[in-house]
Amino acid sequence: MATTAGTPRRRALSRWETRTGLLFVLPCFLLFLAFRFGPSIAGVLLGFFDYTIGDSPTFSGVDNYRRLLADPTFWSALKVTLFYTVLYVPASIGLSLGMALLVRRAFRGARFFRSVFFLPVVTSLVLAGTIFTWLFSSEGPWTKLTGSSWLASTTLVVPALVLVSVWSRFGYGMLIILARLQDVPRELEEAALTDGAGPWQRFRHIVAPQLRPALFFLAIIETTNSFQVFDLVYVMTGGGPAHSSYTLVMHLYDQGFKYFDFGYASAIGVSLFVMTLVVALIQRLILGRNR
Amino acid sequence: MRLRALAMAALTAGALTACGSGSGSGHTENVTMWTYPVIPDQAKHQAFWNEQVAAFEKANPTIHVKVEIYPWVKRDEALSTAIAGNKAPDVVYLIPDQIPKYARLIQPVDKYLSAPAKADYRDNARRAVTVDGAMMGAPILMSSNPLMCDKKAFDKAGVTTYPKTWDELMKLAPAFKAKGIDVTNYWADPSATLNQSFYPLLWQAGGDVFAPDGKSVAFAGPAGVKALTFLKQLVDGGYMEKDLLTGLPKFEQTHVAQNKVACTWQHVPADVESFWGKDNIKVFPPLNDAKQVAYGTVGALSMLKTSSKKAAAGKWIAFATRAEATKAYDVASSNFSPQKSTGSLYPNDPVQAAMEQTVGYTTAGPLNDKARDVMGVLAPEIQAALIGKKQPQQALADAAKAADALLKG
Amino acid sequence: MSLTATRPAPSAPAARPVTRSYRALEPSRTGKVVRVVLLAIATPVTLFPFYAMVVLSLKPATAVRFPASLLPWPLHTGAYAQVLGGRDMLRWTLNTLVYSVVSVVAVLLLASLAGYAFAKKRFPGRETMFWSFLSMVMVPYHVTLIPTFVLISKLGGVDTYWGLILPTLANAQAVFLMRQFIGGLPDELFEAARLDGCSEWRVFTRIVLPLCKPILATLGVFVFLWHWNDFLWPLIVGQDTHMRTLTVGIAALQQENVPLNVVLAGATVAFVPIFAAYLVGQRYFTEGVTMSGIKG
Repeated sequence: MATTAGTPRRRALSRWETRTGLLFVLPCFLLFLAFRFGPSIAGVLLGFFDYTIGDSPTFSGVDNYRRLLADPTFWSALKVTLFYTVLYVPASIGLSLGMALLVRRAFRGARFFRSVFFLPVVTSLVLAGTIFTWLFSSEGPWTKLTGSSWLASTTLVVPALVLVSVWSRFGYGMLIILARLQDVPRELEEAALTDGAGPWQRFRHIVAPQLRPALFFLAIIETTNSFQVFDLVYVMTGGGPAHSSYTLVMHLYDQGFKYFDFGYASAIGVSLFVMTLVVALIQRLILGRNR
Repeated sequence: MRLRALAMAALTAGALTACGSGSGSGHTENVTMWTYPVIPDQAKHQAFWNEQVAAFEKANPTIHVKVEIYPWVKRDEALSTAIAGNKAPDVVYLIPDQIPKYARLIQPVDKYLSAPAKADYRDNARRAVTVDGAMMGAPILMSSNPLMCDKKAFDKAGVTTYPKTWDELMKLAPAFKAKGIDVTNYWADPSATLNQSFYPLLWQAGGDVFAPDGKSVAFAGPAGVKALTFLKQLVDGGYMEKDLLTGLPKFEQTHVAQNKVACTWQHVPADVESFWGKDNIKVFPPLNDAKQVAYGTVGALSMLKTSSKKAAAGKWIAFATRAEATKAYDVASSNFSPQKSTGSLYPNDPVQAAMEQTVGYTTAGPLNDKARDVMGVLAPEIQAALIGKKQPQQALADAAKAADALLKG
Repeated sequence: MSLTATRPAPSAPAARPVTRSYRALEPSRTGKVVRVVLLAIATPVTLFPFYAMVVLSLKPATAVRFPASLLPWPLHTGAYAQVLGGRDMLRWTLNTLVYSVVSVVAVLLLASLAGYAFAKKRFPGRETMFWSFLSMVMVPYHVTLIPTFVLISKLGGVDTYWGLILPTLANAQAVFLMRQFIGGLPDELFEAARLDGCSEWRVFTRIVLPLCKPILATLGVFVFLWHWNDFLWPLIVGQDTHMRTLTVGIAALQQENVPLNVVLAGATVAFVPIFAAYLVGQRYFTEGVTMSGIKG
C-alpha cells in the first residue's frame, strides 16, 4: 500500500521480500529446530548422562562410553553389522548391475520386467520379513531346498537376512543404474563395435566408466543403510539365534526402549553416527582424488 | 535449544496436571486401570470388568473406573512409555518380577487394604509382592507351571510311569524318541521369559539367579552348570524339538500341539487343552532334583505414585481384589486364588484341581530391578550353549560377567 | 503398429549404416536366449514371496506344509474373516492412512514454501540456513531417535497422531528437491504476477504450486511410501494397540501367538493398497524413489 514510487518503493520491496522469505521458511525452520537440530545435539549430549524414565538426567562423564567399550554385546553387534554390510553391499549392487544390463535394451516386455523387479522396493520390510520368515522356517521351501534351516544357524542367519534385503532392494539400484545407462553415448559403443570390441571390452572400457558415479552413489547409500539395519532383524530373528544377528540398531532399540537406558542408548547412537561420518569421509577422499 | 524446549515441556505438563487435579476435586474422579489379557477372550474379559466396575460405581457414585486391556507383548515398553509421557494409569496389573523395576514409582497398598484382607493372603503370594516390608500390590491371582504330561504320547510310546525327577525324565527319553516323541521341550528364543524355562531348572538344582544381596548373579555356579548341562544332554540326545531352540514357531506348528511331547513345564493346561483334549492332560508336581520347585506368578494390582486420585484408586483396588472378585476372576482365567478363604476353586475339574495342588510349590522368580536386563544377557548365552556354539560353563560365565557389569552400573 | 517418421525406414539408403550398427548393438541370438532364460528365472523368483503370501493366507490354520500348501486350492477365507473381524486391522489401516496422507500434504506444503523462499527470495542467513538443513541428511535417524522420543513423550505426544506425525515433517531432502526445482523456473513468471498486484501467498498458491505439479507428484509418492512403510518410529510412539500402524500391527501379529495364515492375511491386506497405488502410478513411484534415494 505504502509502496508508491521510486527508491523507497524498492527498499520497501526488498524489506518485504526479506520478510516473506523468512515467513515462508519459518514453519520448516521451527520443525528442524525441534526435531532435527535439537535432537542431534541432544543425542550427542545425552551420551554423557545417566538418564532413565521417571528420573532426571544426571551427568556421568564418559561412563557410557567406557561401558560401551567393555560391552561384549556392543562389539558382537558391531561385528554382525559389519558382516552384514560386507555381504550385502556387493551382493545388492552386483545384482542391480546385472539386472540393469539385462533389461537395458528396449525389447518386448522390458517395461513389464522393470516393474516386476521394482515391486519389492515398494513393499515394506515388515511384510517381506513376515513372508520370508516362513520361507526360511523349518517347514519352508528354502529349508527343504538347501537342507538346513538358515534362520536357526548362527553362521547362516546373516546371509539369510542379506538375501531378503537384496530381494527387497535390488530393483532400486537397478533403476539408478538404468538411468545412468541412458547417458552412455551410443556412438561410442557403435564405434567400439566397428573396431571389433567384444561385449566385455565394450562394457569394461565404455559402459563401466560411465557407471562409476552411480555405483559409487549406491555403495555409499547402501553402506549407510546397512549400518542401520533394523526392521528385518526385528521381524525375522529378533537378533537370534544366540545374538548372531543382533545388530547395532537392535542394541540401541533394546537399551533405549526395552530397558529405557537413554544415556547408554545415545552413546550407541553416537557410535553409529561416527561410522556414518567415516564412510562420508572416505567418499570425500575418493571423490576428491577422482576429480 | 533442547533444554529450553524440555523446560517448556515440563512447565506445560506441570500446569496441565495442576489443572487436572484442581478441577477433579468435588466432581467425579476418574480412575484408570491397565490390565492384560489374563482372560484370553477379550469380550469375556471386558465383560468381567464391566460388571465389577458397575458394582463398584454403584457403591461409590463419585468414582468412575475405566479398565483398559493392553496386549501382553511389549507391556513393559508400553507402561514405561506411558509413565515417561505422563499418561500412566492410576492402577496397573503387575507381576513380581516387574515390581522392583517400578518400585520407586509404586505407591504401597498396605493402607488401602483392611487387616483381615491382608491376613487372608497366602504367604507365598504376599511375599512375592513385598519389597522392604511394604506391599507393592494387592494379589489378584496365582499361577503355577508344574509338570504337565500328555497321556496320548505316553500311550503311543507304551510308557506307563510318569517322571518325578530329572534322572527319570532322562531315562524315559529314548523310549519316546523311538516313537518320534520328544520327552520334553524348551523354548530358547531370548524373547521367551526364562521364568518359565531355565529358572525352574536352576532352582530345582538348588541354585538361584541372584546372590542373596542382589548385587551379583549366582546362576553360573555348579547348579546353573548342572541345569544347563542337563538341557544340553536332552538336545544332544535328540530328545527335544530343534525349532524351539532357535526361533518362535507358531504354537500350532510345534510338537507340543501335535501330541509329540511327553512332558513339559513350559505350558499350562489352558495352552494345550484344545490340542490334546482335556482327558489327556496329566498334571504332576514339579520335577525334583535337589529341590522340588516350580515357577508360578502372582498377579497383583498396583498403584502408581503419579496417580492424583490415590484414595479413589485405593478403594477400587480393595474392591477388585476382595475374595469374591478374585475367585470369579481366577476361575474365568484358569488361575488360582491368592487368598485362603476362597477354598478350592475347581471342585469339579480334576486337571485344574491338580494344578491348584501345586501352587504351594511355586516361587515367583527373582525380585531384582535388573531381573529383566539380566535375562536379556543370559538368554542368548543359554541359546548359544544349546545350539553348540559354546560350552555350558563358558556360556554361563560369559553371561555372569555381563550381568555383573549391569548390576554394578 | 504403423511405422512412424521418427525412425528411418529400413529401405532408406542413407540410414542403412546407422541401422546396421544399431541392430548390431542388440544382443546376438545367443544373447537373446540367455536374456530370456535369465528373465524366466528372475521373474518367478522375485514374485514367489508375494504368491506365497497370498496363497498361504488362504489356507486353514493348521495345514501349512511345503510343497502341498503352495497349491492354490482349496481356498479358505477364514483367516481374512478373523483378521478383518476380530483384530484391529481396520483401525491400523486408518492410522496408516492418517500418518501417510497428513504427512504427505504437510511435507509438500512446508517443503515447497521453504524451497520457494530458498530459491527465489533474498533474506539474511539464507545460504547458511539452507546448508544446515541439508547437513541434517548426514545425521542418522537413530541418533535423534531417543531425544525426539523424550521430547514427544514430555509433550504428551505418545499414542497421539500429532506425536506420530510432527517429528517426521522435518524432511531435508524434500526441501532440497523443491529448491532445486523452483530454482530452475524463470524469475519473470513471479515478477510479472507480483507487478500485477498479487500477494505473496497468491503468487505461491496460483503460480508456484501449479508449476511444481510434476515434482510434487513424485515427491508426494516418495513421502507417502516412506510413511506407509515406516516402522521404527510408529513402533515407539504407538504403544496402544489402537495407535499401531499396519507395519507395527503386522509385526505384533507375527510375534504374538497368531496362526501363520492370519498373519499373512493381515500382510496381504496391508499390501493391497500400496500394490494398487503402484499399478496406477508406477512412473511416479520409480521416479520418486530413485530421485530421493531412500527406501521407506
